[in-house]
Amino acid sequence: MINIHPTAIVSNNAKIGDNVSIGPFSIIYDDVEIGNNTSIASHCVIYNGARIGNNCKIYQGVSISHIPQVSKIQDVHSFVSIGDDTVIHEFVTIHKASKEGGFTSIGKNVLLMAYSHIAHDVKIGDNCIIVNAVQIGGHVQIDDWAIIGGSTPIHQFCLVGKHAMVGAAFKVVKDVPPFVLAGEEPMRYIGLNSVGLKRRGFSSQQMETLKKIYKLIYDSSLNVSQAKDKIKELFPDEPLAKDVIDFIDRSKRGIIPR
Amino acid sequence: MVEIHPTALVSNKAKLGNNVSIGAYSIIQDDVEIGDNTKIGSNSVIYNGARIGNNVTILNSASISHIPQDKKFHGEYSLLYIGDNSVICDFTTLHRGTEATEKTVIGSNVVICQYSHIAHDCVISDNVFIGSFVQIGGHVEIDEFSVMEDFTSAHQFCRVGKYVTVLSTYKVSMDLPPFIIAGKKPIKFLGLNFELFEKYNFSQDKINTITNAYNILYNSGLNFSQAKNELAKKFSNDEIVDEILKFLNNSSRGIVGK
Repeated sequence: MINIHPTAIVSNNAKIGDNVSIGPFSIIYDDVEIGNNTSIASHCVIYNGARIGNNCKIYQGVSISHIPQVSKIQDVHSFVSIGDDTVIHEFVTIHKASKEGGFTSIGKNVLLMAYSHIAHDVKIGDNCIIVNAVQIGGHVQIDDWAIIGGSTPIHQFCLVGKHAMVGAAFKVVKDVPPFVLAGEEPMRYIGLNSVGLKRRGFSSQQMETLKKIYKLIYDSSLNVSQAKDKIKELFPDEPLAKDVIDFIDRSKRGIIPR
Repeated sequence: MVEIHPTALVSNKAKLGNNVSIGAYSIIQDDVEIGDNTKIGSNSVIYNGARIGNNVTILNSASISHIPQDKKFHGEYSLLYIGDNSVICDFTTLHRGTEATEKTVIGSNVVICQYSHIAHDCVISDNVFIGSFVQIGGHVEIDEFSVMEDFTSAHQFCRVGKYVTVLSTYKVSMDLPPFIIAGKKPIKFLGLNFELFEKYNFSQDKINTITNAYNILYNSGLNFSQAKNELAKKFSNDEIVDEILKFLNNSSRGIVGK
């Protein structure tokens, strides 16, 4: 059963799952897919290219799959995908990709709080929390379980590793490696995100390993590429070390300093 | 006489005072009380639990008494109060309480500018001014006549005393005692708030007492607990100093440094 408010404007071409509810004054365009049990509140606009999962909650005034804020852009045929169980609070704006056929993607069980902005081509992993008014620039990638504190802007093309936490009201202009706590201005490495890691069941042995790895990167006389080689040498079969090295290899803007 | 635009959706169960006006496409849910002469603009939604006073102005696209963004919230009953004569500007989000206090309170004569967010369980006292894009976390208390300038934010559980100004773009991460100006990253005591003293006609005696008290607190080389003893000794039974001491003693996040 689909529960559409009489004042909502919903295209007949939109593919809408079971048990979806759409609130007053919301508008759903043609090329939209919405999964089962998802609820969309009032005053939302879901533009062409939106692919929304099951059990999502989308609150008042949200704009999804609008054309990107790139100068001189033509309306492109691109997409936004939103995973299951994601909650999107008031006035969030999520823009579709800037290239034909591209995706802006939001993972599963993500919490996007009020006013946050997800620009074109951004990739956000599963279980992330994006707090109020976080403004995420184009092409940013945020990996699983990362938390971005309120009012923090993220410069375009930056990466944030998994389980990282970025403090509120600072600015991300370089890549934040996985498992760390970052903050201050200019943004720097503060330590491991120990509270977050403990909550997610990391063992004390794993935490010790991560501490040793980050000691090599941040507390030794080695530069980042030397530290990377040293980590490879000292932790050859350690999956956590591989996560950190893979991230450094992906990083184009350089990782945050100490 | 109540003036409701024909496109607005207003519940029959909502209690509306005299001379209330409700703009186009706005929604008023069931469990809402709105006082006399209050005006609500277009596209605003007043959710269940809102208790709005008299002569309040709410501009367009506000979200009032929406459910909190707290992961511990599980749908419990709670309220949001807005006092008389307050002005709530465009796209603001004011969330109702959680089971912790069961209410969020906005006082009388409060101004909240566009895109600002007041989270669950906050207490914003009378005559407070909140600028644009201010993001206030859960359980924050802001006392009378204080000013949060544009783009500021407040970490959850922080307290801001009365007659405080937080300068634009800075983040409140500790408790700010009354009568001061605070700013910088991380937040610091920058001096006394003479501008507000003048605006609200403080007597010269009162200003002298405040100046002397804060000299002991910040300029004497004593730590806070020593300074508190010194204050109690030097100004016994002084109303203003008692207020300052009460604030210092109730601080749980720690008092801002110099």
